[in-house]
Amino acid sequence: MIPPRRSRLALSVVFLSLLGVGSARGQDQPRAKVHVEICEAGLSEKPEWPKDVLAASDRYEADALAFFHVPFKYIDTGIRADRANPYLLRATADVVFPAGKHRILLRARGASRLFIDGRQLLTTPFVPKISDGHAPIPTDYLDLGPDFRFKPPGNREKWTTFESKGSTHRIVLETIVGGKRGGGIMKQDLGETVAAVSFAGSESFHLIAPVKVITYTDAGWREFEETEWARLHALEAGRRKDALAQHAAVWEQRRADAKAWLASTPEVKVPALPKGMPGHNAVDHFLAARIEAAFQAGDEARGRIDYDTQVRPILQTKCFSCHQGDKVKGKLRLDTRAAALKGGVSGKAAIVPGLPEKSELIARITSMDKDEKMPPQGPGLTVDEIKLVRQWIAEGARHDSVGVKRRPVPGRADDLTFLRRVTLDTVGVIPSPSEIDTFRVDNRPDKRAHAIDRLLGDPRWADHWVSYWQDVLAENPNILNPTLNNTGPFRWWIHEALLDNKPMDLFVTELVRMRGSHYLGGPAGFAMASQNDAPMAEKAAIVASAFLGVQMKCARCHDAPGHTSTQKDLFELGAMLNEAPLAVPATSTVPKDKLHQGRKALINVTLTPGTKVAPAWPFKAFLPSPPGRGVGGEGTLARTRDQLASAITDPRNERFAQVIANRLWKRLMGRGIVEPVDDWEKNAPTHPELLRYLGRELVRGGYDLKHLTRVIVNSHAYQRAADADLKEVDPLHLAHAPRRLAAEQIVDSLFLAAGKRMDTEEVSLDIDGGRDIKNSLSLGKPNRAWMFASTSNERDRPSLSLPRVQAVVDVLEAFGWRATRQFPLTDRDVSPNVLQPAILSNGVVGTWLTRLSDEHGITRLSLESKTPDELVEQLFVRVLMRRPTTDEKATLVEHLRVGFDQRVVKSPAPLLATKRAPPKYVSWSNHLTEESNQIKIELEAAARRGDPPTPRLQAEWRERMEDVLWAMLNSPEMIYTR
Amino acid sequence: MPPPLTRRRFLGALAATALADRLRAQETPRGRAEHCIFLWLGGGFSQVDTFDPKRVGAPAERVAGSAYPSIATAVQGVRVTEYLPRVAALMDRLTVVRSVHHNVVDEHAAATLRVHTGRPTTGTVAYPSVGSVVAHERGALEPGVPAYVLIGYPNVSRGPGFLGPRAGYVYLTDTSAGPAGLTRPADVPPDRQATREYLLQQLRQPGAAMQGYDQAIAESLRLSGPQFLRAFRLEEEAGALRERYGGEFGQRCLLSRRLIERGVRFIEVSHNLNFLNGTGWDTHNEGHERQHLLIHELDVALAALIGDLEQRRLLERTLIVVATEFGRPSAFDARGGRSHQAAAFSMVLAGGGLRHRGAYGATDELCQRITERPVSIPDFHATIYASLGVDPARTLYDGPRPVPITDGGRAISALFA
Repeated sequence: MIPPRRSRLALSVVFLSLLGVGSARGQDQPRAKVHVEICEAGLSEKPEWPKDVLAASDRYEADALAFFHVPFKYIDTGIRADRANPYLLRATADVVFPAGKHRILLRARGASRLFIDGRQLLTTPFVPKISDGHAPIPTDYLDLGPDFRFKPPGNREKWTTFESKGSTHRIVLETIVGGKRGGGIMKQDLGETVAAVSFAGSESFHLIAPVKVITYTDAGWREFEETEWARLHALEAGRRKDALAQHAAVWEQRRADAKAWLASTPEVKVPALPKGMPGHNAVDHFLAARIEAAFQAGDEARGRIDYDTQVRPILQTKCFSCHQGDKVKGKLRLDTRAAALKGGVSGKAAIVPGLPEKSELIARITSMDKDEKMPPQGPGLTVDEIKLVRQWIAEGARHDSVGVKRRPVPGRADDLTFLRRVTLDTVGVIPSPSEIDTFRVDNRPDKRAHAIDRLLGDPRWADHWVSYWQDVLAENPNILNPTLNNTGPFRWWIHEALLDNKPMDLFVTELVRMRGSHYLGGPAGFAMASQNDAPMAEKAAIVASAFLGVQMKCARCHDAPGHTSTQKDLFELGAMLNEAPLAVPATSTVPKDKLHQGRKALINVTLTPGTKVAPAWPFKAFLPSPPGRGVGGEGTLARTRDQLASAITDPRNERFAQVIANRLWKRLMGRGIVEPVDDWEKNAPTHPELLRYLGRELVRGGYDLKHLTRVIVNSHAYQRAADADLKEVDPLHLAHAPRRLAAEQIVDSLFLAAGKRMDTEEVSLDIDGGRDIKNSLSLGKPNRAWMFASTSNERDRPSLSLPRVQAVVDVLEAFGWRATRQFPLTDRDVSPNVLQPAILSNGVVGTWLTRLSDEHGITRLSLESKTPDELVEQLFVRVLMRRPTTDEKATLVEHLRVGFDQRVVKSPAPLLATKRAPPKYVSWSNHLTEESNQIKIELEAAARRGDPPTPRLQAEWRERMEDVLWAMLNSPEMIYTR
Repeated sequence: MPPPLTRRRFLGALAATALADRLRAQETPRGRAEHCIFLWLGGGFSQVDTFDPKRVGAPAERVAGSAYPSIATAVQGVRVTEYLPRVAALMDRLTVVRSVHHNVVDEHAAATLRVHTGRPTTGTVAYPSVGSVVAHERGALEPGVPAYVLIGYPNVSRGPGFLGPRAGYVYLTDTSAGPAGLTRPADVPPDRQATREYLLQQLRQPGAAMQGYDQAIAESLRLSGPQFLRAFRLEEEAGALRERYGGEFGQRCLLSRRLIERGVRFIEVSHNLNFLNGTGWDTHNEGHERQHLLIHELDVALAALIGDLEQRRLLERTLIVVATEFGRPSAFDARGGRSHQAAAFSMVLAGGGLRHRGAYGATDELCQRITERPVSIPDFHATIYASLGVDPARTLYDGPRPVPITDGGRAISALFA
């Protein structure tokens, strides 16, 4: 917040400027900070400076006259919004110059001008017309000293001299950001908008700054950028907090309403912990009660075929898509015993207990008749499967579990295994060496609970969860020409919402309202679906599966055999998002001739294309009707989006909290209480009471996902040792099963284990900002895996490649990350394929991670370790989070002992310094030149070569060490939780 | 136990499903090709300047027509541009399908997706590319090699869609680099690799849960071993043959032949080396001026590939496809180039045991409309699938959802003997 004194000062500057007494600026009290003003009103869209001094609509402070990012504007409850385009940035600094003739440099992306003591000293021009591909590789670089930083892409620069008598000067930098050109809207990028000074007698430049001394060299800028980002992010977080505070009353009322609802409804009874079962909290009580029941059943029925583990999976893959749940084909349900005994329209019992030959089910699955056989399409049951079902019927066809053999519940995993698991599950990476050390020396009995609390306060929580919601909400930005169902980059909204730990009901509300910026990362980006003729129908299906566990994707074109939701339901929901009736497009149907081919059609088309469907809440079973009034005294909700958000998040709609709780449970425990987690029509919950309990616990905790996470990861069940032979998570949660890490966790953990910075290009094909905001995005320079996006541009031009980005994307894609997310997905394919180990062991990222370069984390470890023994011990803990076995240790120590004592090079020859040269960059504007291809081909080769090896380690031993590291990073346990 | 005559069975019989099926089976020809080399001319190659020549126009005056005169070919009555003399001499080994059409012209990515998957963009199904379908249906011909190799940049349209990663491609961006993930880094010679594998072996004692991944490791070590990677050593080929194939695109075609010999099923080769003319086949404006260089490179490489395959008796079992996202109109734009046209354009089929006829289908005098035998993208795909012995009507499954391999496509029966 700007203190009132400054506001007065700013006003007086405007006033004096209006009078044309610019030089009077210097007479104000000198300031220790740069005062930045953003002026959004009064600018022409044409490339021209305003005649008047514009009033500021936003202000903040900075350390220097150096800008690469302006804090976002936040509206509503703290979502990004667009600023006026163009806007003017005015930065005022009071700076003491020594006496002498100094060189002054100005560079900027937009038009800029620099005033000293009211006199205009330098200007840079408006953005020139940038060619659509045919521009040359730029050569117009200033080079003003031996350590001079060359201008980055898309900036224009000027310099001059200025003589100071040695006094305080008021320096004002103005730049016009964005604007229109032709029919296009330019991105509001600042490039590197900088005023710098080189004092008389010095060869180097500094950023012009009142107090701080910041050298304007490549290294100086890197450091400045890092601290400045941290400062700007904190500033933005403050702005979001302030925005949300404006709505505090509404959300406090919501909390109160939720509490009242909890009080008015019966609590779920927590069962007693069965004797001899371990338990930390209520979660364990629910699980243990179920385990005990299964044990008891198992004691009685030894050796029989078990429905849950043996029969159900067969029915699930082969029969349930049509014969399960409330809506079934031929009026036959197979998922309950009573229904199966009754049979469907044929009038015959599908199952006659004890008599497989009298059971119609057996007749159908063994039929060779095209019109009789089941399933009607696709592969039928295998011989073994048929045998199993037959025997199950012969044994009486019991639909309940016959239980499991009694055995001891495993104890807790050891400390390091626990730390690795819980760190991956909360912040998405393995623990860092210092986190490991801290945990190891902690002697408190409740050290795990403390570690959990620390992790839940870690901002990396947001990084871990962004990728999940990117998948579930089908975030799908494309850096070039949106085409294939592309959205805006609302990843940034997801990330900030998670950083702020916004409660889930607020998260949903912001999403469903779809307000704010389309292209800068507001929830409005969710509203977009390029080349989709009914985006709101698309979004409705996403919202339904994400937050209500209702799968509606088939309903886009027809009423599906396996789902109760009709096409009308989907379009009603879509119309709510549309805030107006929604027409069924001509493509959202199935032609009659394709419906009826031989056997009776499995699907029905009940809406004709062109039908206009009015907004309506289709899920009366969850909540009879959407509340007409906002929960928090928001008054009448006139807008259907608000009604929808309110209906989803109303505590009386218990489905919502349970779906969220179930999503969290699945992520932490490896298996949903209801499966699939995005489609609740298929299976009943394995632990219905626990599900209700968790749902209510989420509401009780104010819809805080971290609260519920704390409950679950503190349970004994979560902390139990894993059974390395368990291929699938046991529905009883007796033991943990190893889980394959997500692609993002793998990439982030590998970089962390190696202590290597993720150093790629900016994820953009328009780095000089020449293109329209609508067809070229920049997603910035990634430092976590979720920040990547597809490099696909369907153009096959080397000049449009991003070799370093592609190298990481190759790894991510091999492990199931989707470069494009055309539709929502909750459970990725984690099945192994040959490209996964291949890309890790031979790929470009593999080279980066295993080459012991100067700044590689293992280089330092190698230099500092006293003995091969110590080195191997430390490596294991650092990379695999466990102690080596005796055999492992023996092998590796033996391998590293050779040349260990001579490994350190006493006076290493410095790495060849690369010659300072202006960057030759390729952007969309110049990608059609032959030279641009050459540049990118060279960059690709450089990426493949990787960083040069450190000269501080003797080469032969270094290679031995690299080979050890390679083996560890490529071992299967690296990519699983234990 | 014979099933009783139910109402449904009765109706089914009435609907003559079985008969319809039999009829369809008769209609759907099956070829015997084992491989497919899919040459992708990204950007949208101009059919009027290559395989469907019209009267010569004048870019400067903006008189519509072909840019270059045409020449006769080995097939009487079929003419191609003068920049395709080598291919012209082999015209009886191929068929230009001149009547291909779809309706996506605005954006390359969307049209590329259409031609690779035969389907429009949807939010509910990610359709597999033609290469992935072939990989899924037929797998690699030999063990230890990938089914589907891409020589070009990874793109969404080339991906496996709902078929999942197993139907995906191994890619390389240029012939000298080797495939991503399978080519060992330059500083890891065989002895060093052996050390690495020995060390990894010490750490590879996973439980059953990780066994699948452990097997994948073993498989990947085999795949990145010398046997398969030898395919990428083009220097093993005779110098004269390498020269006959020409530049980088030709070398990609030569590599494709080597991959086929090792049992790779489907290879997509990208030919969009835009440094020859600035824009590749997307010949807007100035890009048109040096388009003939691209056509010449295509002529050299395609003729060499056909000739080489024929000499090795591989042509009959290898279908070569020349495909593109759309064509271009015979009219010129203001700066002498051409915009996009999807309503009528050409794609080429060669070899693969088809009964070739030089050309199939026809367009009007300025290639604005199709006048004979229109071929939709699903039809074109169906022809590819049928020639490879894959039933174009077969149903794949995206979860429970049935998805026919082609959207009602019918193979061009005239091309099947």
